[in-house]
Amino acid sequence: MEKTWLLPPALIVTGFVGILPIFALLNYSLQTPFELENKFVGLDNFSKLFKDYRFTDAVIRTIIFAATSLAIQIPLGLGLAYLLRGASKLNAFISSLLILPPLFPPVTIGMMWLLLTRSNGPFGLIFNSILTSLTGEAYNIYGNAVHSFATIILMDVWHWTGLTYLIFLAALSSMDETYLLSARTEGATRWQIFKYAEFPQILYPLLFIILIRLIDSLKIFDEVFILTGGGPGLSTEFVTQYIRTMSIEQWIFGYSSAMSLVYLFIIIIFCWLLIIGLTKGRGILE
Amino acid sequence: MTFIAKTLKIILLSFVVFMFFIPLYFTFAVSLSSKARINEGVIIPDFYLGNWLEIFGGFGYWRNGIINSLIVSTAAMGVSLLVSLPAAFVFTRYRFLADKHLFFWLLTNRMAPPVVFSIPYLMIWRGLNLWDTHYGLVLAYMVFLIPLTIWILAGFLSSIPKEIDEAAYIDGYSTFTLFRKITLPLLKPAIGVAMFFAWLFSWTEMFFASVLTSSVAKTLPAQLLTALGKVGWGIEYGPAAAAGFVSVIPGLILLYWIRKYLLRGFVIGRL
Repeated sequence: MEKTWLLPPALIVTGFVGILPIFALLNYSLQTPFELENKFVGLDNFSKLFKDYRFTDAVIRTIIFAATSLAIQIPLGLGLAYLLRGASKLNAFISSLLILPPLFPPVTIGMMWLLLTRSNGPFGLIFNSILTSLTGEAYNIYGNAVHSFATIILMDVWHWTGLTYLIFLAALSSMDETYLLSARTEGATRWQIFKYAEFPQILYPLLFIILIRLIDSLKIFDEVFILTGGGPGLSTEFVTQYIRTMSIEQWIFGYSSAMSLVYLFIIIIFCWLLIIGLTKGRGILE
Repeated sequence: MTFIAKTLKIILLSFVVFMFFIPLYFTFAVSLSSKARINEGVIIPDFYLGNWLEIFGGFGYWRNGIINSLIVSTAAMGVSLLVSLPAAFVFTRYRFLADKHLFFWLLTNRMAPPVVFSIPYLMIWRGLNLWDTHYGLVLAYMVFLIPLTIWILAGFLSSIPKEIDEAAYIDGYSTFTLFRKITLPLLKPAIGVAMFFAWLFSWTEMFFASVLTSSVAKTLPAQLLTALGKVGWGIEYGPAAAAGFVSVIPGLILLYWIRKYLLRGFVIGRL
């Protein structure tokens, strides 16, 4: 029963939109296209890349951002799913509040936080009064790199915790309770129940949401572009923003293609390590 | 539950509710405020309805965006599911050469940032006359939708026992009737989840939309970017906030429609 001919539609479409641009990028990255003099430069664009501090800094910054933001929103989503498990009016209200942010376009989220954190917006007022009483510094995302970076992490947590919550809630409510009962009768502690009876059952949803969130955090662009535009200085410039500046704004296309390819490779390596780590080497497709 | 745990729970939940409610309320207030009110800081709106009227009437700018978004997202969701269903079936039911590598390659397409692919697309799409058309945008969205839907569907499919298939084959079903009569009904929850995710990511996508369209097929997120003064005209916070709220509605309807599938069957497979 060889039914593998059912695969080609998906493979042809994904191949067209996924492989063709890679070859185009490879082609561009070896030249200086759309510039005054289009010449073949070999691997020059790639070697320039590793000496470009703006690029390496942006990569490190993006990874720090993704790691911090995930380290907050994944446990928060899981914790909230545990707290709001039962069916009550209050839980339904909090759930719907949490689920709304992911449904907004990221551009709108950026605008919301732009207005919220202005000096006369509600968060601007609150954060400013807390910060001035604690450290004596005024809250200013356009002047202070730390404030700006922290605000972007908070914005991302606000934006996506609802989705992690939703998936954990679904995973918890479809869990097989018999394991829990037997663990409880055996006298297991709460932590042991979680570790041996519950965690294996939510491992797949966990892998799913961590991967989706990791990928999207490394791809973050829209919100940051609206909120800070990479500033102050370069303190919130993520890789996507730098690539956009080099390609769409400055039209240095050979270099930005090389950058794109290297960054894509970095993302793939990270995700691969994560899949291998979480599934103990088995991969997603058993 | 002890008293301390209960108090901690109440404090944590009220903090979460506070943090999540403020931005939503505030943005809604912005959508109901005039320009002057937005600039002096809105806590209580002045109930200026101009923003909402502009969304639904005006010069038809926002209305076109909403219609384009609806066309593109519905088509993208439909096409990606249509293509992914048989592929996910094959991935979980048959073993073939390099199947795991092929599956991982599919996933790598979900990992590509739009900024990486947008310029090659711009060049290719212009050559194929796909630039600024609905078809072109739908095709571009396939790069992150197909891997995602295949992943969700394959995860769920692998949790459906193969014995069911074998029993059906013994009863004389062909693969097609097996898929239509047995697998598809069992797969409903996963299809619901896949539809939701496909909708979510195509409806809110901005980068491809802003590069690959200019007027005919421009979607709502791309128009929001223009309205926020990043590309083109001046800054219009009020209408943008109202448009943001309008853009949540289809997702909410979809979520409400699939809610029982989400909660009953979000196994997304086993390991």
